[in-house]
Amino acid sequence: MDFEALWLTLRLAAGTTAILLVAGLPLAWWIASGRGAGRAVVQALVALPLVLPPTVVGFYLLVMLGPLTAPGRLLIRLFGHSLAFSFSGLLVGSVIYSLPFAVQPLVAGFGSVDRGYTEAAAGLGASPWRTFRTVVMPLTRGSLLTSAVLAFTHTVGEFGVVLMLGGNIPGATQTLSISLYDQVQDFNYAAANRTALALVIISLAALIVIYSRRGSGLGRGELV
Amino acid sequence: MSEPTHLSLTMQHRQGTLAFDAAFELTRPWTVLFGPSGSGKTTVLRAIAGLMRPATGRIVLGFAPARVLFDRTEGIYMPAHRRGVRLAAQVATLFPNMTVQENIAYGVPPAAMEVVDETLQRFHLERLAETMPWKLSGGERQRTAVARAAASATTLGGSGLLLLDEPFAGLDLRLRDDLLRDLRSWLAETHTPVLSVTHDVGEAFQLGAEVIKFADGRVLQQGPVEAVLAEERERLLDQLSGGGVRKA
Repeated sequence: MDFEALWLTLRLAAGTTAILLVAGLPLAWWIASGRGAGRAVVQALVALPLVLPPTVVGFYLLVMLGPLTAPGRLLIRLFGHSLAFSFSGLLVGSVIYSLPFAVQPLVAGFGSVDRGYTEAAAGLGASPWRTFRTVVMPLTRGSLLTSAVLAFTHTVGEFGVVLMLGGNIPGATQTLSISLYDQVQDFNYAAANRTALALVIISLAALIVIYSRRGSGLGRGELV
Repeated sequence: MSEPTHLSLTMQHRQGTLAFDAAFELTRPWTVLFGPSGSGKTTVLRAIAGLMRPATGRIVLGFAPARVLFDRTEGIYMPAHRRGVRLAAQVATLFPNMTVQENIAYGVPPAAMEVVDETLQRFHLERLAETMPWKLSGGERQRTAVARAAASATTLGGSGLLLLDEPFAGLDLRLRDDLLRDLRSWLAETHTPVLSVTHDVGEAFQLGAEVIKFADGRVLQQGPVEAVLAEERERLLDQLSGGGVRKA
């Protein structure tokens, strides 16, 4: 078992999930609340990683983070080095690649909140922020959990983007899925079996968390 | 003495353009917007509450000092939560993640929490204080929704306005009478002005209110209930005594 790869994978997944929850909440609320002319375009961009081959996403991110583009040059100036083939680069790639898995459950959750609740809160003098915090968020806790778990597990299972953007550097960019690929290439099936089993256990545990929540929040009026 | 409350607005309604132009002084604590179903009464309340934006017009609440809630020409649109207006919608939408007590406390400022207990008591909701909304009957839900808006409005002092959209619809007569009596006395004690919507002649008379008669998106008449709804009252009495049946 490659514990270094396991630790790196968990750090990457946790970091990606945290960033996506912070950035995904306002983005999902904006999409779900149906305002703004560019909504369809933004929705399409958010969903794009779902339909593109991971290698395409990885390739464009590799180019974007390099010195050939303005954002890449800005990041090089900020960090002192290119983000490609580094953990930070992997984090950027994972955030973009897992974006739809975090945002779409939130959009669905926010969209399922009856407008009557938000109007009732406004009719009682609650500001939009208070309404969001005290009415919308408690009613969509299930969606928030689904969003976090899907973002986490999707990052754990990433392969194409990670390989294109981070290469295969042990301790720096080698995640479990790439370690598994290496082990199979080396015909080390015993190690590959343990690595694959670890990935299955992480994913299964995450899905059990989601499904065990279904229906449990109804007593408090939660929209699961 | 406060300035008259002036409402002048036009907006698109499902039956066409809705025009509403009325200035009224809240000489009686309760003003009723009376009209048939579908005439746009709810739309007017929603516009005052800030839940929808009229195409043109001006909405001024004439308390001292007068508050301009909306003025198309001057580009004023005050957000709903800053208007000092509280609304109980026709459909009682209680927050499903909160108990009855928490629902009532939602619109009450932390400094005035004693109002919550008073509200529970006045609306006979004490035994339901810890109950979740999904366990309530339709009547209990309705009562809680009206109590919630009223509790919040009483904390605004005389400068607030309580909007009630058919607050007693669907309640049985006895419950409606109890609720109406309690609510009227409490709002009078706290000097909380009310604008409510109804198409029920009996309810308007029971409230002893100033009435704005409204039909097809227009104000037809305005004044004391005895004058404005005299014809409707006669018709109702006629129907009750069997005259309506004979004519039919």
